[in-house]
Amino acid sequence: MDPEAARTARESLDLAFHMSNILDTGLDRHTLSVLIALCDQGLNPEALAALVKEIPKEPQPPPTTQP
Amino acid sequence: MEVSDQQTIIDLVKELVLRLLPPHSNTKSNSNQSLKYAMRILSSRMTPSISIDDSAIAESIKRQLVNEGKSSDALNFADLFTKFSSKSGPGSIKNKWAVIYLLKVVSEDRRNEKKSDSRVSSGFFASTVNGGLPNLLIGDENGDLRKTLDYKSRGNGGGGVLLVSKILNVRESAISEYVNLVKEENEVFEGVLVRDVLYACQGIDGKYVKFDKVLDGYVLGESIKVTRATRIMVRKLCELGWLFRKVKGYISESMDQFPSKDVGTIGQAFCAALQDELSEYYKLLAVLEAQSINPIPLVSEKVHSGNYLSLRRLSVWFAEPMAKMRLMAVLVDSCKVLRGGEMAGAIHVHAQHGDPLVQEFMRRLLRRICSPLFEMVRSWVLEGELDDIFAEFFVLGQPVKAESLWREGYRLHDGMLPSFISQSLAQRILRTGKSINFLRVCCEDQGWADAALEAAAAVGTTTRRGGLGYGETDALEALVVEAAKRIDKHLIDVMYDRYKFKDHCLAIKRYLLLGQGDFVQYLMDNVGQELSEPANTISSFKLAGLLESSIRSSNAQYDDSDMLDRLRVKMMPHGTGDRGWDVFSLDYDSRVPLNTVFTESVMGRYLRIFNFLWKLRRVEHALIGVWKTMKPNRITSHFLTKQEGVVKLQFISTLRRCQVLWNEMNHFVTNLQYYIMFEVLEVSWADFVDEMEAAKDLDDLLAAHEKYLHSILEKSLLGERSQILSKALFALFDLILKFRTHADRLYEGVHELQRAAQPSLSSRGKTKSKTWVGRKALTQRAGELLQNMGNDLNAIAKEYSSSLEGFIAQLPLQQHVDLKFLLFRLDFTEFYSRLRLNK
Repeated sequence: MDPEAARTARESLDLAFHMSNILDTGLDRHTLSVLIALCDQGLNPEALAALVKEIPKEPQPPPTTQP
Repeated sequence: MEVSDQQTIIDLVKELVLRLLPPHSNTKSNSNQSLKYAMRILSSRMTPSISIDDSAIAESIKRQLVNEGKSSDALNFADLFTKFSSKSGPGSIKNKWAVIYLLKVVSEDRRNEKKSDSRVSSGFFASTVNGGLPNLLIGDENGDLRKTLDYKSRGNGGGGVLLVSKILNVRESAISEYVNLVKEENEVFEGVLVRDVLYACQGIDGKYVKFDKVLDGYVLGESIKVTRATRIMVRKLCELGWLFRKVKGYISESMDQFPSKDVGTIGQAFCAALQDELSEYYKLLAVLEAQSINPIPLVSEKVHSGNYLSLRRLSVWFAEPMAKMRLMAVLVDSCKVLRGGEMAGAIHVHAQHGDPLVQEFMRRLLRRICSPLFEMVRSWVLEGELDDIFAEFFVLGQPVKAESLWREGYRLHDGMLPSFISQSLAQRILRTGKSINFLRVCCEDQGWADAALEAAAAVGTTTRRGGLGYGETDALEALVVEAAKRIDKHLIDVMYDRYKFKDHCLAIKRYLLLGQGDFVQYLMDNVGQELSEPANTISSFKLAGLLESSIRSSNAQYDDSDMLDRLRVKMMPHGTGDRGWDVFSLDYDSRVPLNTVFTESVMGRYLRIFNFLWKLRRVEHALIGVWKTMKPNRITSHFLTKQEGVVKLQFISTLRRCQVLWNEMNHFVTNLQYYIMFEVLEVSWADFVDEMEAAKDLDDLLAAHEKYLHSILEKSLLGERSQILSKALFALFDLILKFRTHADRLYEGVHELQRAAQPSLSSRGKTKSKTWVGRKALTQRAGELLQNMGNDLNAIAKEYSSSLEGFIAQLPLQQHVDLKFLLFRLDFTEFYSRLRLNK
């Protein structure tokens, strides 16, 4: 990438990181960058959000929590 | 380069998973498992469920931040977002919205995880407030969702399968959730309620909806558990039922009362029209009932047939019938106590409305209601028939004798006059029918039927029933005007031609009002002798005979015998002490139909005028009689010259005084006579003749005749305002008559003297001594006579002049302009005025 593009990308990432902090998403910069790349590829953001939510819980046993 | 793309994606996902996993977990198997899981998740949701609009998402995020009280954060975010969106060109993010959305969802998830609240409603609530779809969460909070999708959750492990199926039925699960909620809150199904409402709108109590007398309406029982919204809706729909009840109640009441109490034809027509409208309403209700059998679909089902009936749909259907029923109920209320034409008028007032629906409805209704009324008008105007059993028509008839048929037989009843028929039209209607009846009864004329047919043909309707209806008031008016015109003309023609009204009036004028001079003269001559007797000794037969002879001896004999036959002598009721002069009068006998004009009171007024004129004539006659005796050549100059000085002087002066007085009286009487005959009678007659020519119908004729009589009475000082004056006048007449007797006596005395003084041309021998009266005695007697007479004459003269003065003084005070002419004539040399001034 040429420096211009790199700069743009970096700034965009910075902005997105700030926004995500405001929204208190708990994502770090690197994860966010991966997510952004995936979004750009055209994946459904809802699915990605689901991923973000579910995967950290994965080691837990199959959900039995029934109110 | 799909493969490479895919590879890139896979790599990225792998990395993501790695990063997301908690650091101290068993990496290898977990990561594989996680990877598989991740792929599954990704494959399940290919397209996002909201539209691509990053600014909207940003807005919602901002709003949410503000709601949470973090307004500075919101500002910051806004700032960042603008900068973020402005980045473009190589290296920038292409799917900005996706990123923003991702952030949003992640933050929401985190937030929700932090919350311990797991109930359904808050889950719904939160997501709807956030402005996105109801984000039915793929989380453990959703207990109910779990319930319904429980069967799906069995199977191979992991929350994976469960999660997928949950994600699939998110929307539907929300809807079935709602359905359960509705079922919990409502005890009764909506379909049942709809059917109950339909029953209520026919006046029948349903299973749950009953008529409550206290509240005066159809209500859903208090004990039944339904939502408040449903209750209110049911109440509103049942207003139709209440209105229906009212209208039906009125109809059945009227129908019940029909035989006993008179509801009237118009009332019946009203009920019939209402029932027609109600049958239309029943048709609508039948269709709705058929539809209500179809089950009401739940919100989640797709409906292919639209023909089900819910409360909402019912309210839409009911909009128009509600308006109509309300209108009918208003009409019923306003017409509860009215009948006949009044009812039609009240309903007509309600028809003045701007809404075309209302106007159309009212027009239909009124057409039915007013048909009996219009029928009655038609038959009255064209045939003179009044078949009105229930007294609803605005023309009232009462049975009277033939002669008062015109004046009192029929009249208008304003109470029953509907408001769309004006007063003048009603008057014309009344007159037309009256004329037909009058012609039929009094004149025995059948020609009016032709006139009626002509009238109908001219207007374009027929004389048959049902020609006219409401809304055609113009046509009715045209018909009435035509009919009135023709029938009036016919009536006038009949009056003038067959019954010779004009000729009769003229005859009355000539005889009763002493127009025929020579006849009056002869009558006076013949009858005058008789009438000096006391009234109760006079026989009317004799007078009748004298009347006959005077007719024959004058020009009156050439008159129409029909008129002459009606002329007869009438003796008024008299007391003792009345002379014949006071009670004598002529009468004119008028039969039907002329006695509508010449009624009793009218003839009475003619009588008064006759009396006055008769008195005047009598006075005139008396004066002329005196004149005859006063002719100077009766007194021989021989006799006069033979007298001695004093007596002669006395003689001459007395005679002269007598003559002067006579002259005055004559002047007065002549002028008064002239005034009465010409200025009063002839002028009034000329006016009356003009008006008779111009009269269009009998009412006009009657009015003209009234005016004629009234003016005569006023001008000849017989009216109420001139009572003082007429008293003075009669006093003058009495004086004149007294003068006549005195003058007669004077001249008789003179002639006796003369005869006595005559040399006995006719004397025979034996009477010589008796008839020879000494000259001295003669002179003495003459002197005495003349003295007495002179005194009498003086007295009369004084009285006369004072009375006359009084009379003349009062004349200018009269209102009537014509009396000034009388004054002018009497006083044209201003002799009397100057006399008064000098006093």
